[in-house]
Amino acid sequence: MIDRLRSMISGVEADFIDIRYEIKTETRIGFAGREIRNVGSNRTDGYAIRVGKNGGFSSATVTREEDVPRALQLAVEGAETIVATGGKKSVLADVPVVVENVELVLDGDPREVGIDDKIELLKKYNDLMLDQPRIETTNLNYIEIGREKHYVNSEGTAVSEEILTTNIAGEVIAKSGSLVQNIRVAIGGADGYNRLLSREDVFLKRAKVAAELLDAEPVKGGTYNVVLSPMLAGVFTHEAFGHFSEADIIEDNPSLREKMALGEKLGSNVITIVADSTMPGQIGYYEYDDEGVAVKPVTLMDRGVLTGRLHSRRTASAFGEPVSGHTVAEDMRFEPIVRMGTIYIKPGEMTLDDLLAELGDGLYLIDGKGGQTSGENFTFGAQYGFKVKDGRIGPMIRDINIMGNLFTTLQNIEAIGNDMELSERGGCGKGQLNIKSALGSPHILVRNMVVGGV
Amino acid sequence: MKKLLDIAAKASDQAEVFSIRNDSSSLEMRNGKPSDMSASIQSGYALRILKDGRIGTAYTKNLLNREELVSNALDSLKGRVEAGFSFPGPSEIPESWLPDESVSCMGFHDLHSRSRAVLDYLSRKIDGQIDVNSGRGVQDMSIMNTSGLDVSRKSSFMYIFTSLLFPNTETAIRKLYQSRKAADFPVEELDALADLYASGLPEVSIPTGRMKVVFTPDTMYTILWRLSQAASGKSFYNSVSPLQNRRGEKVLSEKFTLYGDPTDPLEVDQHFFDDEGVPARKHTIFDKGVFGNLILNLDYASKLGEEPTGTGYRGGMWGGETVALAPAPSLSCSRIAPGNVSFEDMIRSIDRGVVVFGVLGAHSGNILNGDFSVGLDPGFYVENGEIKGRVRDGMVSGNVYDVLNNIESVENRLHVSYAGGMYPSILLDDVSVAAK
Repeated sequence: MIDRLRSMISGVEADFIDIRYEIKTETRIGFAGREIRNVGSNRTDGYAIRVGKNGGFSSATVTREEDVPRALQLAVEGAETIVATGGKKSVLADVPVVVENVELVLDGDPREVGIDDKIELLKKYNDLMLDQPRIETTNLNYIEIGREKHYVNSEGTAVSEEILTTNIAGEVIAKSGSLVQNIRVAIGGADGYNRLLSREDVFLKRAKVAAELLDAEPVKGGTYNVVLSPMLAGVFTHEAFGHFSEADIIEDNPSLREKMALGEKLGSNVITIVADSTMPGQIGYYEYDDEGVAVKPVTLMDRGVLTGRLHSRRTASAFGEPVSGHTVAEDMRFEPIVRMGTIYIKPGEMTLDDLLAELGDGLYLIDGKGGQTSGENFTFGAQYGFKVKDGRIGPMIRDINIMGNLFTTLQNIEAIGNDMELSERGGCGKGQLNIKSALGSPHILVRNMVVGGV
Repeated sequence: MKKLLDIAAKASDQAEVFSIRNDSSSLEMRNGKPSDMSASIQSGYALRILKDGRIGTAYTKNLLNREELVSNALDSLKGRVEAGFSFPGPSEIPESWLPDESVSCMGFHDLHSRSRAVLDYLSRKIDGQIDVNSGRGVQDMSIMNTSGLDVSRKSSFMYIFTSLLFPNTETAIRKLYQSRKAADFPVEELDALADLYASGLPEVSIPTGRMKVVFTPDTMYTILWRLSQAASGKSFYNSVSPLQNRRGEKVLSEKFTLYGDPTDPLEVDQHFFDDEGVPARKHTIFDKGVFGNLILNLDYASKLGEEPTGTGYRGGMWGGETVALAPAPSLSCSRIAPGNVSFEDMIRSIDRGVVVFGVLGAHSGNILNGDFSVGLDPGFYVENGEIKGRVRDGMVSGNVYDVLNNIESVENRLHVSYAGGMYPSILLDDVSVAAK
């Protein structure tokens, strides 16, 4: 395949060309309640092309091989138009030429497991939740996505890498009268099928929480001091800080770029944030990004000081900072953009009890329910929480969404727990879906967060 | 397509082939300069087969091997997914309009000149950063099935989307213009946008409390997402809808009417059949507050013993590959019926309140229950009928079944929302606002 790709881009008049061919495989099984709703395995493919010419940079994606010449032509035209219209000049940072074929290492290859066994496993977890008191229904899916990627550029780099993620994920829904409450559930990773086995405890716990939420009271809107659980603190890290560490987000906003200059003290002394996609087994694991650059761990913030940033080759050059190997596409339909892989807050020294004692009065908020960011403003939802009085956990609360300003909130992080948890499922939607966006954190204590109640 | 259908028909009781081809390109201009130009030519095929009351599905983007696609669909039958419906036969469907050549032939230079015109015009009116995205696309979609259906639709569109960023932030006032033909952003809409931007320049802190709240068209999806889920056949079939057993009841204010109308001539994506080939028509969900109809695809219509509603679409909340997604109940081309108050008069009628121009976190929270809790991005504070500035760190929260029973007024005009659909602004009374 590599030779075919080389021949496709040879002879094109440009300063830089790359082409990525992908075969994407998907196996999906879905239950809605006790009813199986879909089963299927599919395979498809396509090409993504980028061209740099005279400082202009443009991309094109196509499904069919016969459309590749047209895609090359469109990408060249796009790059020329950027130059002709006084557009942004792009220079790619130098990176080593790599010729590599990365083998997939799995603890249990899901492709060798029959569809009936997968249905049976999914059904077992699904039935377990449905059998719990007050559970009305579920939506639970088995999702197995493989990307066989072949990348070639005009500099001589040729990288093939296969990545495969397996998840069982969905929601469990409890109902009482007209009140409906749901809780999300997800297990999985990038290291094979065996991670999905013997996980009954996870599904039982989620069903129990969904049922308990029926008796919880809606939180009252206002400003609170809060302890965030590892998954919720991870969502904050991803949504509020992580996206701001993606160079392409701030690249063309001069005022934000100034605020996010390396060396700026943006956070409190207790917070250190790392992006590390080299940790084997995590959903965010990969070796080469979709520019053929080896991914490296980056300390983004060290004790409150901004120390690193996530880059493509283009943004690394524009910022004069090191490349980090974080340019990733959802699949062959997209050009790659700067993405987080695995991002987390480094653990501190306090136990959860210490944090709650330090909190005194406030809220203990648990597990993420989606988040969104726009510049320095962010929101994220908590799946559930508890009131805390004098450091003691009180009644359960629901309907919790938090809003904040990144810079204010980073300064308001007062203490970090000594525990640590990483998510088992990705799903960041920055223009394209990134199923390999892992996040995590210890428990953290934050002062003065705006919580919207119902 | 026909060959694929023939192969599939031999192996099943019924079969359907859906195909789509998109040719699109886009331009991004950030901070005054073209920063990205990209093009995409994508195709795809989805196959559904029915056999012995069960359904099998398969898809590919690149139809290299028809037998393999049919084989994947047959393998999928092993999952024993039940399907009680049949694929629809032919019906009277109006001729679709043809793609406009001005869009089919539109190049990067044309996109650039139309975007540059927006940038230059707004630059003369405001000092802040202006971003402009634009794009064009041509789509060709066909459905063929063994019941004799053979329909296709071709369409073209272009858009210009501009964002006026407030100083030192990514928070912006935004506006979408879209058209079936190559066209320029209407100047009067840019004037209104620039005026709005100026009124939101001061940043204000407001106290937490209950007050009036206006949801503008671009934020209406916060409310409609929740109502659509509740009215979906899927929620009814699984007995988790808050609207269960409430058909024919007045559940919202009489000022609220929600419908979908893919046949609306004003609709850029005007079409006459859904993604299952069922004729599409005006479909009303709430009529003057009364809950009337469900949103159904063929499958849930059959499961609930209802007639199909022409609202089965291959789409997802987060995009996704069209051919990989099964048709699901979805209200396409949604509309809220206009009221009788101008937007200006609506603002003037507010003693104390917030106008929501953008939200963060509409996808968070207990959507099925109707709860929302969204960050203002931005929201403007109004006192004694005048906009005082944009709110610093504020959230608006509530439950759609509560707040839509407290509608004070509905704007007398519909606007295209960048999140899809056409809506008026709606003024709600007594809504919870949290702020620092």
